[in-house]
Amino acid sequence: MKGNSRLRQILTPGLIIMLALAFTAGAQTYPNSTFQPHSELGRSIDFLWNRLFLLATIVFVLVEGALIYVIFRYRHTGKETEKPPQTHGHAVLEVIWTLIPALILLFIAVPTVRIIFQTQAKVAAGALEIDVIGHQWWWEFRYPEYNITTANEIYIPVGRTVNFKLNSNDVNHSFWTPELGGKRDLIPNHTNYIWFTPDSTMKSSVWNGFCTEYCGTSHGKMRFRVFTVQPAEFASWVAGQQRPATFGATAPAVPAPASAPTVAPPPSNGAQLASLPVGYTFPHNQPEFAYAKPNTPIPADLNFTKGLTGSAARGMQVYSSAACIGCHAINGNPSSVGVVGPNLTHFGSRSTIAAGNFPNTPAYLALWIKNARKMKPGVIMPTLGLNEYDPQLKKPVEKAMGGLDDQQIADIVAYLSSLK
Amino acid sequence: MATTAVPAHAAHINEHAFDEQSGIWGWLTTVDHKRIGVLYLFTALAFFIIGGLEAEIIRLQLQGPNGHIVSAELYNQLFTMHGTTMIFLAVMPLSAAFFNFLIPLQIGARDVAFPRLNAFSYWVYVFGGIFITLPILFNVAPNGGWFGYAPLTTKLFAPGLNIDFWVIGLQILGVSSLAAAFNFITTIINLRAPGMSLMRMPMFTWMSFIVQFMLILAFPVITIALVFLLLDRFFGTQFYETAAGADPLLWQHLFWIFGHPEVYILILPAFGLVSEVLPTFSRKPLFGYPVMVYSGMLIGVLGFGVWAHHMFAVGLGPIGDSVFSLVTMLIAIPTGVKIFNWIATMVQGQLRFTTSMMFGIGLIALFTIGGISGVMHSSPPADLQQTDTYFIVAHIHYVLFGGSIMGIFAGIYLYFPKITGRLMDEKLGKIHFWINFVGMNLTFFPMHFSGMLGMPRRIYTYDSGQGWDTFNLMSSIGAYILAVATLIFAYNFLKSRKRGEIAGSNPWGAGTLEWTIPSPPPEYNFAVLPTVTSRYPLWEGDERDAESARINSQEGKTAEDLHIVMPYNTIKPAIVAGGLVIMFSGLIFAKALIFLGAALMVTSLYSWLLSPLEPEHH
Repeated sequence: MKGNSRLRQILTPGLIIMLALAFTAGAQTYPNSTFQPHSELGRSIDFLWNRLFLLATIVFVLVEGALIYVIFRYRHTGKETEKPPQTHGHAVLEVIWTLIPALILLFIAVPTVRIIFQTQAKVAAGALEIDVIGHQWWWEFRYPEYNITTANEIYIPVGRTVNFKLNSNDVNHSFWTPELGGKRDLIPNHTNYIWFTPDSTMKSSVWNGFCTEYCGTSHGKMRFRVFTVQPAEFASWVAGQQRPATFGATAPAVPAPASAPTVAPPPSNGAQLASLPVGYTFPHNQPEFAYAKPNTPIPADLNFTKGLTGSAARGMQVYSSAACIGCHAINGNPSSVGVVGPNLTHFGSRSTIAAGNFPNTPAYLALWIKNARKMKPGVIMPTLGLNEYDPQLKKPVEKAMGGLDDQQIADIVAYLSSLK
Repeated sequence: MATTAVPAHAAHINEHAFDEQSGIWGWLTTVDHKRIGVLYLFTALAFFIIGGLEAEIIRLQLQGPNGHIVSAELYNQLFTMHGTTMIFLAVMPLSAAFFNFLIPLQIGARDVAFPRLNAFSYWVYVFGGIFITLPILFNVAPNGGWFGYAPLTTKLFAPGLNIDFWVIGLQILGVSSLAAAFNFITTIINLRAPGMSLMRMPMFTWMSFIVQFMLILAFPVITIALVFLLLDRFFGTQFYETAAGADPLLWQHLFWIFGHPEVYILILPAFGLVSEVLPTFSRKPLFGYPVMVYSGMLIGVLGFGVWAHHMFAVGLGPIGDSVFSLVTMLIAIPTGVKIFNWIATMVQGQLRFTTSMMFGIGLIALFTIGGISGVMHSSPPADLQQTDTYFIVAHIHYVLFGGSIMGIFAGIYLYFPKITGRLMDEKLGKIHFWINFVGMNLTFFPMHFSGMLGMPRRIYTYDSGQGWDTFNLMSSIGAYILAVATLIFAYNFLKSRKRGEIAGSNPWGAGTLEWTIPSPPPEYNFAVLPTVTSRYPLWEGDERDAESARINSQEGKTAEDLHIVMPYNTIKPAIVAGGLVIMFSGLIFAKALIFLGAALMVTSLYSWLLSPLEPEHH
């Protein structure tokens, strides 16, 4: 046992330094690393990983070392005069190298079982429940506690346990935020849970999330974002999301000029942020969060008329009489109650569109509305641009099919972007 | 070539061994296990190249971020077909090539128990393989992954023909594997030469024996799963229809109860081949033969109790997770024992580094890495960060490429002279090994990193700035290097077949029965059925072994000369196989074909069963 711990003393720091060099070169370089856990779940897994990696390294070095030694020691020299000793086996040796792996596995098995039960225990009372519903190929998120429905982006407060209740609307998916913890599948007719607590000491950050169960054509494009924010920021965000869509009622035609996020510096601790204006959104455009900004290229054959100015008021009219309302809901717009696609109530407050694949800017949004199927293969969202070729219907969109011209699309963009 | 001294008496080669069976018709009608083995070998290598091409396109697409060499739809077909092809059409049939060619030779038999059934297995495999492979040329190839998870593969979410080809194709291929498995079990149990007790059988035959039992236990499970899916898709049943309340875990359990034993079905034959290679080139018997047999059996049994470790993310609950985790860890023990015994086989030996030996040692080195990463995801919490990422892609390729493929290459270089009578070019072989070794590691080792750094698998493209670019570029370069290695192998294989050095009956100085007979063996294999007194008749046998070997090494005699009765050639198994495939394909193309195929199958089967296998004994 003593030798083992000595070996550990020598190996562990070396490994940690190696790992540090290799993987923790900063969130900028490896933004989705599983080696930088930010929750107790992540740390439990990391503890197991470190032990597995240590034992794996020892086994690897010993076995490959023995193999290399044998290769060089017993090469055929051509000078041998007689046959090598014709040994057939050695019972004691074979028992030894049956028992040693068994012993090593014991060091893995015990903490494994302990951590299985610990991480799959019933979640503590007071956890924030978020319902995650998988769709081909986007994420629906509901906060039953606050009566909020949103899509592809979630806000969670640091220091509070979040219990994700996982379900699917169609096929199997899997919910994974590598930096926050392990994954869990979303399976129709089968509710799953995974819970973790984002570290309370963490500053407000954004993390990439992925679908990790193959779910069809655009499985590779089914992404999401998790914003871990200070409790006060979370409260402000919740309050904003709980309001109905503000357009037309109280909001000015131009986006609120002094919205809180651009003013508030990323706080190191949430303590001083007792009261924030309603409607916090994460300042995702900072360079340190560049990894959360999508770089998906636009298809070369998709263009939009330059220099058009949309009118949000006209956009609301167009939106409310177009195909949009068949699938999308906007609280506050009585004609828009569809449930097939993402809820768009606070669309303007999101940082990305199309399940984390494009930045939420008017330019990308216009192209998306014009021909979503070119931007993300297989999507249910129909091609809406007039005379645009629909890759699934394999024909151009006509007026009679609900085709919209660029001006109409620009108006819808103005409307949706105003829904902060 | 000091290591491959050719005995003087073998200076000529028996080019006429298959004279009466030559020509295309000869190959279509053959029931000779050796010729069927050769058919398997060529066909499986062709599919290996097709599966490799699919992989190369995948690596082209992923070489850099936001790649768009192929569309999402085609990419999904490519990775589905890469897995399906490599598992069902390349690695399993490559193992089958060795089952066919070697098992009768290693146990001292003149053929398999059911030679015509053997031909039938091959033709079902070829036709099924073509059936499932051709659709990719028309952009309708299977696209649900090789694991075909319902409900993604149900009609509601996959209305096209893609999954139809997959369900039917796998069903057809299952028939082939099952027929072959029963055949080899009967052969091994009944046709062993006098003195060839079970515990004297060469290790390859032992591992094959275990694999056949795994096949007959595992394939019925996937067959049932596929029949359910087929009924759902074609006849409107609701086994997997979630709208009707189905739990998608039904498919996952059924699939992996088959799927995990399948992993051992893919690796154990390679373990068997390496267990022939290492003693031969160490000039020492296999270390711990009984333990090697028992560990193989234990792997075979435990292999049926670990399926849910593919499902640690589906929410089995803590008890299920713990049980499957512990059994999975257990399986590492017999596997480790095999590795240690192989190394011990080489200790004190006189190691000759032929190409075959290098691939054999390559298997030990690389499979060890796959085995270690396997233990890493046997721990469910740890696996939650690993499953469905590139870490798993790295793992399976260290097991299947580093294990199965390395073992199969070791076997090809070892047995090529027995199959063709000529040696493969050792110089090209070593170049092949090193390029293959470098390419393999460059392709798959970086995937450990891209996976643990968050890259999910089965994504047709990825965004820039995620920390994955360098690792993917390395993997792609490695894949191109692997393509070069495979080309060198193909050239060497084709060239040596015609112009290689004459091998003689035992070019490597090996010890088992198959090396007592000429290369290539005469159609009857053994002029006299050998009497076996030890595990290595050429190394440790007594005078009875020596006498059998002396008679059996003589060349030039025909079966008639020796009054040995051999089975007739017949086309009927191929026609029955054709009828079976036509019948199945009728589900897709035209209902009339179902009846036509069934009629063809039944009538030719009837005729097959009523026609005698071989001339009457006289």
